[in-house]
Amino acid sequence: MDIQTLTLTLGDSTHAGRTFDVMPIAGEEPVLQVTVSGAEETPVYVTVTDTQILCLAYLFEEQELLPQRVNELHDNMLRLSVPMPLSSLGKTGDHYVVYGALSPTSGAAEIMQELVTLAENAIDLLQTFEDYLA
Amino acid sequence: MRSVLNKILTAMRGSVNELGEAVVDSQGNRILEQELRDSEQELKQAKQELAALMAESASLARQIRSEQDSASKREQDARKAITAGQEELAREVAERIVGHERRGAELTQTREILQQRIDSIKERVQRAEKQLADYRRELQVVKTNERVLRTTAQIDTNINSQQSSLSTAKETLERIRERQAREEDRQTASTTLEKELTGADLDEKLKAAGIDGEQDAIDSVLARLKDKPAQ
Repeated sequence: MDIQTLTLTLGDSTHAGRTFDVMPIAGEEPVLQVTVSGAEETPVYVTVTDTQILCLAYLFEEQELLPQRVNELHDNMLRLSVPMPLSSLGKTGDHYVVYGALSPTSGAAEIMQELVTLAENAIDLLQTFEDYLA
Repeated sequence: MRSVLNKILTAMRGSVNELGEAVVDSQGNRILEQELRDSEQELKQAKQELAALMAESASLARQIRSEQDSASKREQDARKAITAGQEELAREVAERIVGHERRGAELTQTREILQQRIDSIKERVQRAEKQLADYRRELQVVKTNERVLRTTAQIDTNINSQQSSLSTAKETLERIRERQAREEDRQTASTTLEKELTGADLDEKLKAAGIDGEQDAIDSVLARLKDKPAQ
């Protein structure tokens, strides 16, 4: 599934009662910003490479956290990362992210499932970790 | 693999997030790609060599079997000659048998040496395949890492150009709460509407005022029964 096909497919699909709003992010890399209905606050960014389809949503930045509680947060993030469906927790630059990687051969249904799950998980995680914000 | 992961971590800790300051330098990437190509080439050669040697070994096996077959066939001939009292003929046949057995032994020895070479090349192929898988995995990690960095940099630049800045987690949480409250309001409104439509809300009000239609009905039946007791 390449980025163009994905854009067209998501634009007029519904999955589990959700619709998708797709916006390409300008730049050299093919990146899509996908907004899932009912979870608009946490857009999911999608990029397709030879080896995987990477979907990620931003949680918070390092400087937004209470410094004295960062270790505890990290511990909790590692623990939650295992049982969370289709999502892992990670960090890129200063951003804490929740992400999922799919095989490039995944179909539209798998990708939509991933997008819905990620957007919802991002909201749940933000609310769960609210106490760690400065 | 460990060296690649360490390089990535060291670079990350050094706060190298700027675009262009690739985490593992592109020179390192090229070296890795060259190593990958070398390994692939070596593997291809080793496999070709292996195939040729295995074909040769199979051909030798056939020749050995043929010598053995000839020897045993000649043995029968020799026995018949002896039975017929043809001592001279039997001796001649025996010479042939010796020839077959000698060639068979020589071929067997050649095949054993060949077999050792096959085993050693098989080992080489396995090593090269493992090496190749390692390189591919390393390269994938390095490339994915670079891709993620470029992608997130691109997202940040884009969002920053559209809004004053990427919204903070607190702002996002505020928006989530607002939406959740709106959804809750909608839910409450639709429940209220449903009650109004079915008259359930009126029944509730009557009950609250001590007016219970169901209870009244039971009471009146009881009163009727008491009026006309069983005879």
